[in-house]
Amino acid sequence: MRTVRAELSKLASLPAFWFACVVGVLVPTGIVLLAGRAAPRVDDGYQELAVGVLGAIVLGVIAMSSEYTSEGAESAGGRQINTTLTAVPTRGRLFLAKALVVGSTSFVLAILATTAVFSVLRLSQGVGVLALTGDDLARMGGVIAYWVLMSLLGYGLTAFTRSGIIPLAVLLVNSSTVSVSYLLTKATPLANYLPDLAGMRMFSRDLATDVELSPLLGGAVMAVWVAGLLIVAKLVFARRDA
Amino acid sequence: MAMLTFERLTKRRRTKHILSEVTFQARPGRITGFLGPNGAGKTSTLRILLGLDRATSGTALVDGRPYRTLRDPARKVGALLDGSGAHRSRTGRAHLRWVARSAGIDAARVEDVLELVGIAEAAGSRVATYSLGMGQRLGLATALLGDPEMLVLDEPVNGLDPDGIRWIRGFLRDQADAGRTVLLSSHLIGELSETVDDVVVIRAGKIVANGPLADVTTGYRNLEDAFFAAIGQRSADR
Repeated sequence: MRTVRAELSKLASLPAFWFACVVGVLVPTGIVLLAGRAAPRVDDGYQELAVGVLGAIVLGVIAMSSEYTSEGAESAGGRQINTTLTAVPTRGRLFLAKALVVGSTSFVLAILATTAVFSVLRLSQGVGVLALTGDDLARMGGVIAYWVLMSLLGYGLTAFTRSGIIPLAVLLVNSSTVSVSYLLTKATPLANYLPDLAGMRMFSRDLATDVELSPLLGGAVMAVWVAGLLIVAKLVFARRDA
Repeated sequence: MAMLTFERLTKRRRTKHILSEVTFQARPGRITGFLGPNGAGKTSTLRILLGLDRATSGTALVDGRPYRTLRDPARKVGALLDGSGAHRSRTGRAHLRWVARSAGIDAARVEDVLELVGIAEAAGSRVATYSLGMGQRLGLATALLGDPEMLVLDEPVNGLDPDGIRWIRGFLRDQADAGRTVLLSSHLIGELSETVDDVVVIRAGKIVANGPLADVTTGYRNLEDAFFAAIGQRSADR
């Protein structure tokens, strides 16, 4: 438990963490505001949150990559991971504690972002903010789960690369500009089972693809990807020279 | 007994021999100087001891146990490796706080060690703004948080000004006199000769001299001469 608390205070004392939180809330809310009053569509709000997930991704990536940031030219190769692993040498426990912190902070961030986006959206559309149907709630739960799983995906990938550059490049490009996964569905239907695209079924009702997955199945597919990745990442993290 | 024991420690990376059968001990109440040129294997040896890297064979034990199995490592061993071991964008105080939290150490101790190593005034600044010497002091503060029985310090005088070097010498002497085990590595021979009780010299992954300072320097003018003889030709082993 003290490992979890230490990891939480470690993350919260990183300026990049707060940057990720601000991005996660402001980007999707800002897009809603800028988009203005168009005719309501089924994925309103969710589309913006699917872009805002980059805040959660950055959060997951920096939780791991900050351990490996070099201290700078002056001190040859000193990295925080040395301090972390001498303080908590049981690496499996450390990896899980970090994952727990990443998952729970991105959970809170996702709730904040979802609340902000739909408040702004509904106010601008003149719909009651609290007039939520069961389907609305299920989809909001879905988008929150999507954020949590995406942050864990970023965390797990960074455990392999030890640097945030590649995971950020791959995940951010994929979720903000052109969805490579989506383009791949044009080549093979199997691409529908890639984690990000499968996970989007949890909230999106407007994915134009040939294969349809139910929200639950989509979420399950993504969860299996993430769980598998974390299991392998934990093994690698525990065995490799720091 | 607060003892650090290295027994036939061997490390290979692919075909490269980093360490070959490294065997020595660091005993309580004594300062053991672990000397060798850059790249000789000092840091590798200490990293294996601290559970950061794995040995190919052999053991490195803390009180007879691998570091990774210690229940409360911060109270047992204080470690200083290259640099501060802190993330650049955190403040010195925030760094010490999370370490204290993960080791179950009271937050008040953070202020104590900041004061002790003399960086209390810079505690609220980001580590990125620290000089090399200040980073070194922060690393030392981290090592001292748990008031450990043993200190393992990799190049502790690196980047310290003459004042700092003098301070750390006195500090380590006090620690050893209080019965603690001090193991420190260095490639700076002159800085050490007045400080250490035991000397272990490593060259290209092999221990080439090992014993009390007086024994190792017998027949030489000083530690420096003995050191160069030891690393110069292997016949000067004894």
